[in-house]
Amino acid sequence: MSNNIKLSHMNHWKTISYKQIDNFRDFYYEDKSNIAYYSDWDRILRYHKATGYDGIEVAPWDMADILKLFGTPKDFADFVKDHGLEISGMFHGADDSYRADKYDDVLAAGKAAVDLCAQLGGRHLNTCPCNNFYGIGPLDNEALQNAARVLSDIGEYAVSKGVQVGLHNEFFCAVNKENHHRFIEMTDPRYVFYCLDTAQIAIMGDNLLKFYETYHDRICTFHLKDTASIALSDSIRYAQDVEICDDGWRWFWEPGEGVLDFKALWQLVKKYHFQGWVSIEDDGTPDILASMALSSYYVKEVLFKIYQ
Amino acid sequence: MHYCVSTEMIDLHHQMPNRNQRECKFYWDEIYTLICGAGFSAMEIPYEPKWDFGGRSGIPRTLRSINIKFQSVKNYMKFLKETGIKDIPSVHLDPSMFCSGTMDMYFNAMEHFASEAIGFCAQAGSEVFCLTATPPQAAVRALCPDTEIDRFIASFLEKNGEVIIRLAKQAADSNIKLCLKNEFWSLLRGSAITDYVKSLRRSAPVYIDADTANLQIAGTNPAQFIAGNAGLIGAVHFSDTDFVDDAAAYASPSPEFPQAKATQIFKDLGQGNVDFPAIHEALQSCGYDGIVVINAKQTRDFSRGLLRAVYYMKHCLGISVSDVQ
Repeated sequence: MSNNIKLSHMNHWKTISYKQIDNFRDFYYEDKSNIAYYSDWDRILRYHKATGYDGIEVAPWDMADILKLFGTPKDFADFVKDHGLEISGMFHGADDSYRADKYDDVLAAGKAAVDLCAQLGGRHLNTCPCNNFYGIGPLDNEALQNAARVLSDIGEYAVSKGVQVGLHNEFFCAVNKENHHRFIEMTDPRYVFYCLDTAQIAIMGDNLLKFYETYHDRICTFHLKDTASIALSDSIRYAQDVEICDDGWRWFWEPGEGVLDFKALWQLVKKYHFQGWVSIEDDGTPDILASMALSSYYVKEVLFKIYQ
Repeated sequence: MHYCVSTEMIDLHHQMPNRNQRECKFYWDEIYTLICGAGFSAMEIPYEPKWDFGGRSGIPRTLRSINIKFQSVKNYMKFLKETGIKDIPSVHLDPSMFCSGTMDMYFNAMEHFASEAIGFCAQAGSEVFCLTATPPQAAVRALCPDTEIDRFIASFLEKNGEVIIRLAKQAADSNIKLCLKNEFWSLLRGSAITDYVKSLRRSAPVYIDADTANLQIAGTNPAQFIAGNAGLIGAVHFSDTDFVDDAAAYASPSPEFPQAKATQIFKDLGQGNVDFPAIHEALQSCGYDGIVVINAKQTRDFSRGLLRAVYYMKHCLGISVSDVQ
């Protein structure tokens, strides 16, 4: 590849109803609403290509609707490829990983996700390592070991399929500030990598730059997003259903619209000569298309001038 | 007749500008005042467990979400009353999202969440619980493990009936009518629902939810259907359409989004060609005195759809504001 970095976009478009709308003008004229512009994969993928992305990352909760339209993962991947894009990977949640009695179920679900990711042609299975904190946290050492064991075993299977499991922690996850680093160390570095979600790390209270310095050899990909909410208190992070705020407060912003020092991060990315996929994630935006363009502009006009 | 509006008109499933707001409590807190401002004092809730799985408790569509944000249904009802919404006479559950894997998996989930929804109805004082009669035909067929599809569907409907009877008895214990809604993509589409409900009524009080657009798309005249099944109807949904299903969309995997030709199947009230004056007359003629739910699940603009409905009812059906309230 000409660049060291390929830019992907994590899919947070809600259900896309159509594969391809051929009667676009007529559909628009029915109500003269911009809904017509957000209704088919053909145009959604064109927006990605037009705004400078090389690929998309899919969400598992979208797959049932995608398969209704396309039939098989390969058919969807081929459609994406026909638009000049790749599928960089897929998200996965390893719920119940902390429970020894659920090992078989969690491993089976993880392997199924790896297989699906491979069928899509994806490289990265970005995996939330556990359930949310509320209701089960804080995890003791044994629970952490249980989670690390099954994640390592999923990771070993993934590597055999050409997929990398990247831990993707959330600021409200049961693996949290007090044991996040310990948990990473518990996983097998041969099989378990790390997807650095820049905002999640900062909201959790970790130092983004130090984190990258420490774990740069484990970091296989990024979820790049900004935040203006650094180091939230335990009482907020550990509350129930905290991802969406009652008053509309947003945890996440497009790169450059928050307070994270992305330029300094990119100097480190350059220092360690990172190569691979970087996904923009626009969860929480009121306008995904605008956020896609805004994020792409920042990456290409600011960060890529440091390293690309 | 008692009129209410379905908050299913607020779509969370598909992309549109500012959709993110709809996951937040503040959005809904204002929605109730808009519904009241349009002249309604009652609403239907679409019971959608999907949002529970993602921790989206700002969306008030399940017992879990309401308990998290309001601590109890009682508190929620009190809050609604303060905004001008007096009651939730109807709750609708479409369990189609659970139609994957095996038939047993579907029925286990369907019964679990339907039972939970009935429990919510009981706490909220709802009069009817509307249950989608079957998942889309294509989804049911996809469950079939072999080629004996006719035998499988017969087995599915038999098991479906067993579960519905249990649920109808549970509902009746709380003075709630269980009404089956037969979307145009249902195994029991159009007039096929009638004999099915009659057979179930030998064991439990099961009613029909007459959804006007869905009946029309399935080729059944809604006014004639109502006139012919007056004693079976426990709820009515006023929904509009001008869609003609000439390419068998009803049997496709995405029936409400015809892949051959994109279109908005469900229109705002008055924007389609459903004969509401005839339907209204049929309801009056048979002495129907139950719930009428206004719905436009594919509206492009909730507020506009709401006001279009109020305008249409007042100026085209002659239904006064006092009726609406």
